[in-house]
Amino acid sequence: MRLSAVSSRLSARAAAFTLFGLSFVASPGTLSGDASQLVGELDAAGLRQTLAREKGRVVLLNFWATWCVPCREEFPELSKLQNKYGAVGLQLIGVSTDFAKVRPAVQKFLAEQRPSFPNYRKKSGGDDQPFIEAVDSSWGGELPFSVLYDRSGKKVRVYSGSLPLAAAEREIRKLLAPR
Amino acid sequence: MRSLRSILVLAALCALACNAVAEAPAIGAAAPDFRLTTIDEKAFSLSSEAKGHKAVVLMFISTQCPYSNAYNGQMKDLASAYASRGVLFVGINSNKTEDSAAVGAHAKTNGHTFPIMKDPDNKVADLYDARRTPEVYVIDPGGKLRYHGRITEDHENPASSPDLKNALDSYLAGKPIARTETKAFGCTIKRV
Repeated sequence: MRLSAVSSRLSARAAAFTLFGLSFVASPGTLSGDASQLVGELDAAGLRQTLAREKGRVVLLNFWATWCVPCREEFPELSKLQNKYGAVGLQLIGVSTDFAKVRPAVQKFLAEQRPSFPNYRKKSGGDDQPFIEAVDSSWGGELPFSVLYDRSGKKVRVYSGSLPLAAAEREIRKLLAPR
Repeated sequence: MRSLRSILVLAALCALACNAVAEAPAIGAAAPDFRLTTIDEKAFSLSSEAKGHKAVVLMFISTQCPYSNAYNGQMKDLASAYASRGVLFVGINSNKTEDSAAVGAHAKTNGHTFPIMKDPDNKVADLYDARRTPEVYVIDPGGKLRYHGRITEDHENPASSPDLKNALDSYLAGKPIARTETKAFGCTIKRV
């Protein structure tokens, strides 16, 4: 299932907003049950496939963990970004790097947060290196960590640490702008 | 003239800032020497300890990072197993967010009897350009870096392919180390 399809199911209240001087109906802020649960687990190949499926949309990939305080703090802001720009082509994808043994804590966190975007868990096992390479060779597990892709799937920005929200939103708007 | 002066001032400031974090030592190059005090108040000199052992393993560790804590048992076991083979394991905590008391309590809780040091102002982490916990460096008696990177290939599973152990075994056997550098996966070292 396309992630955008998951997002599109996040129905209920639709909000109008203006972007690039045009009015849009935003993806709603009330969520279905699906986004409040893990969609699945990703290894390097799975991550590449997931990103490939989203070509045509601007993707913000965010790595987080339940024990990471800055991750928890920025999580609601990510939902706001998805709500604001989902209808015009933004797709947030969350990936928890929590260990398998704390999967229940991950589920609990998602159930509490009810994010407006799908979340996966990094698959356990195997060599870390291929997964690192699939994300970004500069990454070494630090959290939060986000990667922004344009509509063609090209990586355009890597954010190590808390997302600089205003700057990231500016970048996202630029990538979403019609050419 | 004023702009030239500004450029010179900026260049001087840049030089200071650029020296703040050193480039990571290369494999085979001299590992930066340092002196610290262990949490049980003993002086530690890398060059002295390196000369007295077949190898010293520097482990940048944390009391709070789940990635580092996943290796607590293995750190203890490796330190114990390799002590009889002349290898000294030491822990370095460079996180500004973790004080000496916390580091001492963590060592006691986890049965870590190898030397552990606080690295005030993360100066040693800067010397090695250590970025994460856990991140390890193997240094030979001549003070040269032999291995840098992770302990095992899967950060979630300490029983996965043991890169550090493989490096030590090869080195102690006088054989070339197959993988001298691997990518450490862990938490960011919280610097000042």
